[in-house]
Amino acid sequence: MSDPQPKHNQPEVCNCKPEELRIGVFVCHCGLNIAGTVDVKAVAEYAKTIPDVVFVKENRYTCADPGQAEIRKAIKEQKLNRVVIAACSPRMHEPTFRRTVSEAGLNPFLYEMANIREFASWCHQSDPKAATERAKDSVRMAVAKVRLMQPLQTIEVPVTNKALVIGGGIAGMNAALDLAEMGFKVYMLENTQSIGGHMAALDKTFPTLDCSICIEGPKMVDCARHPNIIIFANSELVKVDGYIGNFKVKIRKNPRYVIPEKCTGCGECKDACPIEYPNEWDMNLGTRKAISVPFDQAVPLIYSINKDYCIECFKCTEVCGERQAIDFNQKPEEVDFDVGAIIVSTGFDVYLPYDMPLLGYGKYPNVIISMEFERLILAAGPTGGKVIRQSDGQKPHRIAFIQCVGSRDKSHYPYCCNFGCMYTLKHVVQLKEKYKEDVEVYVFYMDIRSPGKGYEEFYDRARERGVNFIRGRVSRIDEDPTTHNLVVHSEDSLLGQPIEVEADMVVLATAAIPKKGSEDIARILNLSRGSDGFFMEAHPKLKPMDAPTDGVFYAGACAGLKDIPASVSQGSGAASRAATVISKPKWKIEPIISIVDESKCRNKTAKCGVCQDKCPYGAIRIEQGKPAQIITASCHGCGTCVAECPQHAISQMHFTDAQIMAQIRAALEDKPEEKILAILCNWCSYAGADLAGISRFDYPASVRAIRVMCSGRVAREFVLEALRLGAGMVMLGACHLPYDCHYISGNYKMKARTDALKGMLTKLGMSPERFRVEYISAAEGIHYAEVIKEIDAEMKALGKEKIQAENAKLKPILDNMLKRK
Amino acid sequence: MPFKTVKQESADALTLEWMLHVKNYKLTLDKNRCVGCQVCTLACPKEAIKTVKQPKLPGEKAKKAKVDIDMAKCAFCGICDVTCPYGAVKVTLNGVHDLSILAKDSYPTLVRDIKVDTHLCQKECVECEPACPLSLITVSKVGFDGNPVQDVAALSPAAKKRVQITIDIQKDYCPTCRVCEFKCAAGAIKVKKAFEGTISINKGKCPQGCSDCLDVCPIKGALVLGDDKKVHVNEMFCTYCGACKNVCPVEDALSVKRTKVNHTFIHSGTWNKALERITSPTDAIKELKAQAAESRRKVVEKRFLSEALKNE
Ligand SMILES: Cc1cc2nc3c(=O)[nH]c(=O)nc-3n(C[C@H](O)[C@H](O)[C@H](O)COP(=O)(O)OP(=O)(O)OC[C@H]3O[C@@H](n4cnc5c(N)ncnc54)[C@H](O)[C@@H]3O)c2cc1C
Ligand code: SF4
Ligand code: SF4
Repeated sequence: MSDPQPKHNQPEVCNCKPEELRIGVFVCHCGLNIAGTVDVKAVAEYAKTIPDVVFVKENRYTCADPGQAEIRKAIKEQKLNRVVIAACSPRMHEPTFRRTVSEAGLNPFLYEMANIREFASWCHQSDPKAATERAKDSVRMAVAKVRLMQPLQTIEVPVTNKALVIGGGIAGMNAALDLAEMGFKVYMLENTQSIGGHMAALDKTFPTLDCSICIEGPKMVDCARHPNIIIFANSELVKVDGYIGNFKVKIRKNPRYVIPEKCTGCGECKDACPIEYPNEWDMNLGTRKAISVPFDQAVPLIYSINKDYCIECFKCTEVCGERQAIDFNQKPEEVDFDVGAIIVSTGFDVYLPYDMPLLGYGKYPNVIISMEFERLILAAGPTGGKVIRQSDGQKPHRIAFIQCVGSRDKSHYPYCCNFGCMYTLKHVVQLKEKYKEDVEVYVFYMDIRSPGKGYEEFYDRARERGVNFIRGRVSRIDEDPTTHNLVVHSEDSLLGQPIEVEADMVVLATAAIPKKGSEDIARILNLSRGSDGFFMEAHPKLKPMDAPTDGVFYAGACAGLKDIPASVSQGSGAASRAATVISKPKWKIEPIISIVDESKCRNKTAKCGVCQDKCPYGAIRIEQGKPAQIITASCHGCGTCVAECPQHAISQMHFTDAQIMAQIRAALEDKPEEKILAILCNWCSYAGADLAGISRFDYPASVRAIRVMCSGRVAREFVLEALRLGAGMVMLGACHLPYDCHYISGNYKMKARTDALKGMLTKLGMSPERFRVEYISAAEGIHYAEVIKEIDAEMKALGKEKIQAENAKLKPILDNMLKRK
Repeated sequence: MPFKTVKQESADALTLEWMLHVKNYKLTLDKNRCVGCQVCTLACPKEAIKTVKQPKLPGEKAKKAKVDIDMAKCAFCGICDVTCPYGAVKVTLNGVHDLSILAKDSYPTLVRDIKVDTHLCQKECVECEPACPLSLITVSKVGFDGNPVQDVAALSPAAKKRVQITIDIQKDYCPTCRVCEFKCAAGAIKVKKAFEGTISINKGKCPQGCSDCLDVCPIKGALVLGDDKKVHVNEMFCTYCGACKNVCPVEDALSVKRTKVNHTFIHSGTWNKALERITSPTDAIKELKAQAAESRRKVVEKRFLSEALKNE
């Protein structure tokens, strides 16, 4: 996605010469939480000695009202223009104090926190002196950064209060109906000829066995009739530009060769048409006419001609007569519209096990899959609800169901499909209740998974009906070529012996797999997909319906398999998530984004575009001969591009190179060879380090930590500068590979960069253990503590002399390398 | 989706099948009847049929072109079935040969206008039976007692007079070549060709000694080898099927053109296009014009009729 950004919303950067710096430092006791270990008084006294600091104050509880009032008072009375608060983790109270300083009239981006609780008092309780030293350094580092901070304005973008729903299955329909009911206009895009999704093809639904189309049909009609919903069926997504609140969508309406406005849905053409073709909707068990609707309840009820089969006899045109609804020259038509939010609800596909030859699917006529069984037992289906064999049209008396075909199978689809056990239970109950003693039913299963309201009871119902459950993986199916009867070979893992069952029909409960075309949707909307191929959420637990692209949400099986109740709930959930965007006239964006210094960008004269390739969000637009352009509203502020730009033409607001370099220098001012310089990403490793403190895991106080939003921001120069200044050890903390990165793939970009860097440094004579990358999740406090202990021990083992000697050798080279900066 | 199709080929037949759970569409090409002509390839609305020229081995006769059908394109409409002059293709649904294109008036049938007047037959004569190049004719004779007669000559004149002759022609497979008509001295058979047209050989281009066209022509006598060792045509018997054209090694040496197809009356886009390809655009327009004139005539007739009724 790309689009010119709203220019007027560029974060304002004041390039004017800053007035005289007046920094206030507030040191918090946090009761005894900090003061119990750290000598707060000493820290405060030390702060007074730092240049540009004009005011220092201790508070018992800075975050409490009186503490905040003191800050506001000091800002006003002392004319402070920068504030440092030495207290807890910024992950805890940064927003609180932003509000405090802005209430006092100071720009909220002119303050910085020094974390002296989680990062000092709590984690170095055994060594108060060292904890105090670390706290002092933290204050110095914060002051160093705050000196260079710039006032920033929160960015606001206008919002189009309409939504697009991609995929009209049960999840998408619920999302659309909810939004429409809230009063928003909704465009619903469906690439098949009718909305309804898989549910419209099912017979009954577990565990209540209510008729699927009877409960879904009315919803489909509601969608068609709702004045706020516009359905584009038989249409596909072509392109999406823009960003949250302002998406520009282009779709293509594929020709039906029938004019929607003129087609009355009477179906006379269908009766006149001589040509039939296999009906995909019926899993190709039956046929439909070359001019037809896929099923009688189709919505919208508009006929379509399939030109692959039509012989152009024009009998349909003849009977359509004066209505003149048929137009053989219809062309694809592109339609453009704007929306503020997008819901992706593209569902799943059913796996066809052609590549499991031992099961004989596609070879033996009486081996079918569950989705075909649904169409067989459905009264309105191609057999009129009779379960019959393909080989001879006879009713089978022995039916075997095989679970997890392709699912939970490392060589196919390792995950569980979530509804296979339940729908097979549905099928066996249906059979037993329909044919009673006339049918024998076997179910080969690995585990029956029935967590859900009324699901376990449904399992009981199947057992009471006399269904034979056999626990074991089926190894192969053989066919008697004359009778076309089948023999299922399996093991019975409960008895621990092989078992053979003869059956007239075998039904395979096959895996549910990512929808074909997901890769295109992912590309167009800049979504990521997991190793299983399903869309990935911004956060699997706390943001299960949010896509990593702002303003895009998920509903239903497309982001992980779900049954109908869960898909419906997510549809409503996604609608409400989307409403949080499109109900607002304006959308606010944190200004911690990247900006390009157009004068430095190489792309003006040469072909570069490195930043565009590396941006995980596609937020950078490259046009030949023009400087790179960052789409403000799409930028998530990871800073990866900043670290990648070969010209140093990009900088990240609030995390500029100069600011971070200043922190590094401040951290290594004193006895650098005894220090571990750690750069931690905000979401995982910094949070992990916080947790180490919260958990009171004690670790050496030799570490000095700097926070960045993403490990992708860590430029080579940061590491080089630290080593140039003589740092003992350098450590980068990142989110775990492959999927934990809050910015999709910043950690990968960092890894590529640092792998090369480490190689180079080792070649230059640095001991390899002196620079390391650690992947630490927000839950791994203990891991962080262990890592620091390890690094500290390694540092001690290397010894000061060796480190200093190495540094002496490195320095001239690094000096030279860093000259440009 | 599990859409099961089967294509099989044996020495005698090529079969294509859609094996759906409840329906079975099957196309069978009888290779013994197929002559490798041009008609089905031209008639097929889906362009699913190809003829492939077969390599000729030195010292052997030319082989008829091989017909191949593309499973992915075939719509099992049965147009090849209806149009094949030799009746070599059958399309069935669930084993029943009952084509929807005919039932729904989407396509005409070929008119194989063969009139036999057995009254004119000479009682001893069986000429037509061996004359048929495709062996489609069976002549049977029944005496006054209702029993089959083997040797008519042995009968008494009175008994001879009372012999009933039946001439059974398998019309579905008949390309209307008129050989039987020609052979019948009594003029008992009248055949109107289903396909009309022209065939000619460019003497200058036709190489001496080649008789590929003659080798593959299914109608003995339609092409003959002259004393000049070149092939000559006998338009009288030609069915204009184009099997010869498919194997002729020299471009422009042989020309086969169809100008008219005799068929049942129909309004169908498919047919108009097929006709255009089987004959030529100008020939097809001729038919359309004639059709339009016919409909105009009907309209006028109707008006006269209604006016006449009004006047009554
Ligand atoms: C055999 C079988 C039986 C089942 N029985 C039950 C049951 O009894 N009870 C139960 O709760 N669940 C059952 N399920 C599960 C149920 O089918 C799913 O929970 C449900 O269909 C998920 O709904 P959805 O809207 O997310 O996806 P879908 O139903 O797959 O709908 C997705 C829609 O998006 C459209 N789409 C996809 N890609 C695009 C694109 N690129 N552009 C535009 N449109 C697109 C599709 O055409 C479709 O209309 C069964 C599943 C199977 C396979
Ligand atoms: S023109 Fe095509 S769609 Fe219409 S009746 Fe004929 S075959 Fe069917
Ligand atoms: S790489 Fe990160 S910081 Fe740079 S433009 Fe993309 S999202 Fe913004």
